[in-house]
Amino acid sequence: MGGARAAGPMGGAVPSRAANRERRSAAGGARTEPCCAVFSPQGSPEAAEEAEQGPERRAGGAVRRGKRAAPAAADPQPAKLSRAELYKPPTSEELTQLKETEDLFHSSLLRLQIEELLKEVTLKETKKKKIDAFLHEINSLLGAIPETPETELTDQAWLSEDVKVPFLQVPFNVKGRFHFVPPAELKVVGSYLLGTCIRPEINVDIAVTMPREIFQDKDNLNQRYHRKRALYLSHIAQHLSKEKLFGSVKFAYMNSNHLKPILLLRPQGKDEKMVTVRLHACPDPGLFKPSRFYPSKNNVRTAWFMEQSSPKEGATEPPTPHYNNSILCDTVMLSHLHLLSNAATDFPGMKDGLALLKVWLNQRQLSKGLGCFSGFLVSMLVAYLLMKRKIVKMMSGYQVLRSTLQFLATTDLSVTGISLAKDADPSLPVLDDFHQAFEVVFVDPSGLVNLCADMTASKYHQVQFEAKRCMEILDDRMVDGFQVLLMTPKPMLRTFDHVFHLKHVSKLQGTCKKMQLLNELMDRGGNYVAAALPFVVSLLARGLSQRAQLVAHSLPQISEWPIDAEPPKHKDIGPLTFGLLFVPEFAASTLEKGPQADHLEALEFRTFWGEKSELRRFQDGSICEAVVWEASTVCQKRLIPEQIIRHLLKLHADIPESSICYTGALLESVIRTGKEAWGTGEEAMVSVVCSYDDLSRKLWNLKELPLTVTAVQGVHPALRYTDVFPPIPVKPIYSFHNRRKHLLLPSEEKPCPAYITPLKIICHMEGSGQWPQDKGAIKRIKAAFHLQLAELLRQQHQLVCRPAVTHTDVYKDGYVFRLQVAYHREPLILKEVVTPEGMLKYQDTEESRQLELETLHLPYLTSSLHGLQQQHPVFGSTSRLAKRWISAQLLSDSISDECVDLLVAFLFLHPAPFTPPSSPQVGFLRFLNLLATFDWKNNPLIVNLNTGLTDSDCAEIKNKFVAARSRLPVMFLATPKDQWSSMWTRERPSAQILQRLVLLASESRRALEEQLMDPLSDQDVKMVFRPPLDFYDVLIHLNPNQIPRHLESVDRPVKSASRGVVKNSSAMNILFPVVDYDPVQLYLQELRDAFDDLALFFYDKHGGEVIAVLWKPLSFQPQPFKVSSMKGRKVTTLNNELVCVPNVEAILEDFEILGEGLVKSVEARTEKWTI
Amino acid sequence: MQGGEDVAWATPRVRGSSGNGAAAAAASQSRASLAALAVKFAKRQRSPHCLLVKEHQVREGTDTAHPPRRTLFVLNVPPYCGPDSLSRLFSRCGNVQSVDICDKPGPGEKKDKTASKFFDHKALKGFQVAYVVFRKPAAIQAAKALSQQGPLLISTESHPVKTGISKWIASYEASIVDPKELKAEVDAYMQDYDKKVAEEEAKAAKEEGVPDEEGWVKVTRKGRKPGLPRTEAANLRVLEKEKQKRARKELLNFYAWQHRETKREHIAQLRKKFEEDKQRIALMRAQRKFRPY
Repeated sequence: MGGARAAGPMGGAVPSRAANRERRSAAGGARTEPCCAVFSPQGSPEAAEEAEQGPERRAGGAVRRGKRAAPAAADPQPAKLSRAELYKPPTSEELTQLKETEDLFHSSLLRLQIEELLKEVTLKETKKKKIDAFLHEINSLLGAIPETPETELTDQAWLSEDVKVPFLQVPFNVKGRFHFVPPAELKVVGSYLLGTCIRPEINVDIAVTMPREIFQDKDNLNQRYHRKRALYLSHIAQHLSKEKLFGSVKFAYMNSNHLKPILLLRPQGKDEKMVTVRLHACPDPGLFKPSRFYPSKNNVRTAWFMEQSSPKEGATEPPTPHYNNSILCDTVMLSHLHLLSNAATDFPGMKDGLALLKVWLNQRQLSKGLGCFSGFLVSMLVAYLLMKRKIVKMMSGYQVLRSTLQFLATTDLSVTGISLAKDADPSLPVLDDFHQAFEVVFVDPSGLVNLCADMTASKYHQVQFEAKRCMEILDDRMVDGFQVLLMTPKPMLRTFDHVFHLKHVSKLQGTCKKMQLLNELMDRGGNYVAAALPFVVSLLARGLSQRAQLVAHSLPQISEWPIDAEPPKHKDIGPLTFGLLFVPEFAASTLEKGPQADHLEALEFRTFWGEKSELRRFQDGSICEAVVWEASTVCQKRLIPEQIIRHLLKLHADIPESSICYTGALLESVIRTGKEAWGTGEEAMVSVVCSYDDLSRKLWNLKELPLTVTAVQGVHPALRYTDVFPPIPVKPIYSFHNRRKHLLLPSEEKPCPAYITPLKIICHMEGSGQWPQDKGAIKRIKAAFHLQLAELLRQQHQLVCRPAVTHTDVYKDGYVFRLQVAYHREPLILKEVVTPEGMLKYQDTEESRQLELETLHLPYLTSSLHGLQQQHPVFGSTSRLAKRWISAQLLSDSISDECVDLLVAFLFLHPAPFTPPSSPQVGFLRFLNLLATFDWKNNPLIVNLNTGLTDSDCAEIKNKFVAARSRLPVMFLATPKDQWSSMWTRERPSAQILQRLVLLASESRRALEEQLMDPLSDQDVKMVFRPPLDFYDVLIHLNPNQIPRHLESVDRPVKSASRGVVKNSSAMNILFPVVDYDPVQLYLQELRDAFDDLALFFYDKHGGEVIAVLWKPLSFQPQPFKVSSMKGRKVTTLNNELVCVPNVEAILEDFEILGEGLVKSVEARTEKWTI
Repeated sequence: MQGGEDVAWATPRVRGSSGNGAAAAAASQSRASLAALAVKFAKRQRSPHCLLVKEHQVREGTDTAHPPRRTLFVLNVPPYCGPDSLSRLFSRCGNVQSVDICDKPGPGEKKDKTASKFFDHKALKGFQVAYVVFRKPAAIQAAKALSQQGPLLISTESHPVKTGISKWIASYEASIVDPKELKAEVDAYMQDYDKKVAEEEAKAAKEEGVPDEEGWVKVTRKGRKPGLPRTEAANLRVLEKEKQKRARKELLNFYAWQHRETKREHIAQLRKKFEEDKQRIALMRAQRKFRPY
């Protein structure tokens, strides 16, 4: 690890692997896996090698993971075409291809990317052959299933014990007789024939036509058809399960609709994962009269459903549109297949387009579950667009995708439905009938079936929202559309600002009762989740209409089950998850203003909000109904939606609070300052900034200063709202300290005083001819300014100051500001070099670079991020969470503060495919995801602050980055003011630390998301903030009394020593408090100074009690004797040669000596290493 | 200088297993070879560090601060061992004239009289090297002979060395500057500086417009006709201006061949981009970037 800084990013992985090997050999085998696993690249050497031999492998074709050539060291440089090749006359083919690329695709890169993706997801020919053979065998097996004698539907004794009927037979009693007859017809339908099924889940749908003689009259009533269908499938299952051909025979619900079980067949052996054949039983065409299933017709009798003996007199039966639709679906499978195959002929782009659309839907978790936007649905939509000539057969896959998204984005199917039916048959129901029965309407060619029957309006709005967002992304040239549209998954937790779970869906039974949803229950065959969900969602949407732009829900999903198990119940869908996407301006408002008291709507408002609604008089004199939510701090205000949801669900849906698990702000406890009531520090940050503004005004107007102050700029993280724990105004207790003149000093007898952070401010002085043009003289003049500023602030504003050579500390309002004077020409003067010819040149030196960073770039960054905070109020909190996490993982010294701020800023400035975060939690999750998934090796991270970069700038940065990769930092950040140098990551993090960060981030994200998505477990989110300590070599335990920031630790200590301060900002103060005194930091500095080449030191600066030490394996190898490398080593002989090795025993004792009074104990874990 | 040290260190003729003993044995064989002195912080500690000492040798007598024959070169001085402690440790071998601690071996710098308490302040960190100058050459051998004795103690009861909390508190106290003292120093420095600048300017004014012995006149920015400043930036600016001037004179898309050229150039650009994109895709495919899930 020692020499790996030089390795550079591209080869970063390889040297560290070498280092690991050496480390292992150095340890003589005693040192084993943990440390290697931690700092070893996770598979990246392989990736690097593969990258190098990419082209050869392509030539080699199918050889995937075969032999590897010895890895060449060179980076893959873009190949240059020779001049002759570039300028040869183009062939007509080439011209058309170039033209096509320009017309049909955005760019040639996008075209190539899409082609690659399609190759990845489409089914290979060889597999197709295997699948075809498998289908043939199924075909012959199905014909050979014996008939059964006719029995009553309720008499299921003929079915063997090994098969349970895949249907919830509630109520059980039903009329009708059933016997099995082999299928009249078998037809492959759906995506497999069209060639649009995509990996990884290859499904082949077979429509098994049940012969006419199975059915009787009135089978359309009371689930008789459905039960026969289920019995039919279970008989097939019983026979097929005995065959050796199948690896598994299982049941599932079609799109989790429990009325429609299907039979899943998978081949034997290693092909089991390859394909799933799904058997759908469907009736003989023409069996049912279509008019019976119009959306307004009833086919489930109330008396039967309620198990009453006789129907109530005179009561009209309610319509059962969903029930009707579920039967109709089965009758039209074949005609849909014809429609789609007609559409797909002579239209190669359709196949590609559908594959892309399916990937798009999959990434957004929209394509599975009850009421999903399935692949079939999207195929029908494309067919519709083709019919309407919105798509023509000339189009490429990309254009199909675009046109479809465009249509989705602009059409609201929940308001204006569409129909594939061509000739309007006057007897058929019209769209309005459908709209009355269903929330979303898309009618099939027969004019009878609503393809979107199960979809809720909210789900469609989500699809529409996604489509809109994606159209914006595709039109934005700054974003890599391919990556964000098709390659980035959007799980709910990372998509929505707040997410909450309904822990026990069985509570929705109560909701159905409360909302009187008997008719819907009948229609849905007793599925209370499906019946209640649309009503619950629209209730929430109404309650949050001002605050949320989207209220979405997860799709209820039921997984497949073995045939000898009972079918899953409605409650087996597990917790139901809801996601909210906020309108940042209104989400946190405490007031819900209703209509005026004397208006008619007032009553409605009052019933909707219940007791919470009260009459209030407003400033304009009006008296209105209004709801006011209790919240004093920003973090409480962020949770107002939670209050609303809990209130509304309790009031209208009878769902108790204990059933709701709200995961909006679970993480915020780690950045909480002190007590609960103090909030998460936003208020503290604002008061710091106010005090700073006041100070800067005072500085501007300071009299008697020889030169005026031209600008005052803050550089401390608190002044851009990203300080993990913002300073709190304090006043020292005099008796706690020693004192010298008007200054307080830490006392040896007392615990370490509280850490008071100096808030650094750069104070630019006017340029003038009076400034000297010499380094040393400028330094002195600056020192004189510091003295004078202190003096003038004391005289004119009665502030206590402590001047020093490089700065002046000012104690104001309980904060300490550190003023540093800057002269704009000083960096230039530091850079001056005179060449031998007498020419004046400017060359960067370490000193000038440092000064520029401090006085030029950092103030600019701070003000930019301050601006970002004004646009996105949760930017600061997100960044603070991110920093807290990094520090908790002991890595805060290995990556710069500014770098983390920029990474978080990236999430807000370039949120695609998401929207900018509106809660710290979602921001933090996306931060972890960014860290874990961004390809640092091959891409620069461009943070377009203040939109200072155009797309051509970005392209240029990318190109230059590729050309110069090996010379650039491992983590490359480009901003408008810093396009080429990545100044905030130049020294830190190193390749190894970055690797570790990536690993930790992906683990933390996984653990955290698992916890947040599982409301039934006890959610201990702090887990990801507790670092694993087991792979460090030495642990230095510290004395908590001497840790000034002890109270900031993740698990707040129960008791901690008094720190000699009281919270106060108003009182005038005469004595200057102890500033910037943190013994642990001083100790770490000394340790690093002394043992930098032997070990790495890790510490959580926010109250950590342990310093973790990791030996550098390279420096533990015996080295030949050299004057320059003797530090901390001793001389010994090895194989008759004089070598030096680290004097470990003495070093361990040095740890204690250097930290006298601070170190409690040094725990050497010698079981992990030997000397 | 550095080389001179290395020659002596590179050929230690040593046998034996223990580092300390070996080094001590070597000391008796050659005056220039190293001796290892065990040194501990205080009695309490169990494991000593080893200070390596030898007579300071230079090829030529250039290093005036560290006179040969009576300067002891000390390697691997622990961070808590300052000049005072070193001088106390070696005072038993003879009178110590001065102790010079630095980061790495090198010629001693002349003590700069103008070095100030506030500026040019360099803190020493970590393990150091030191030059101990004795009054008499005999002390060198005596110092080397210390290796035969038990470990030396840096911090004793009579002369405790501060580390840890007490050291940090002391340095916090030391970091407080006295404004008056600082102001006085700055004023003195600036007076000197102003005087120097005034002298230079007077000299320049005197030379202004006066030809030197070969007849050349120096042009400065002060004169009646200031010349271009001789900086890199100024040179670049001139070149840029020239280029713009030339570009203005040129006609674009005027001749038929120019039209042809642009078209050809366009296709070539497209091809080049296509080729680059193909490369990028190949790279991404190799990294399996096209698996959506």
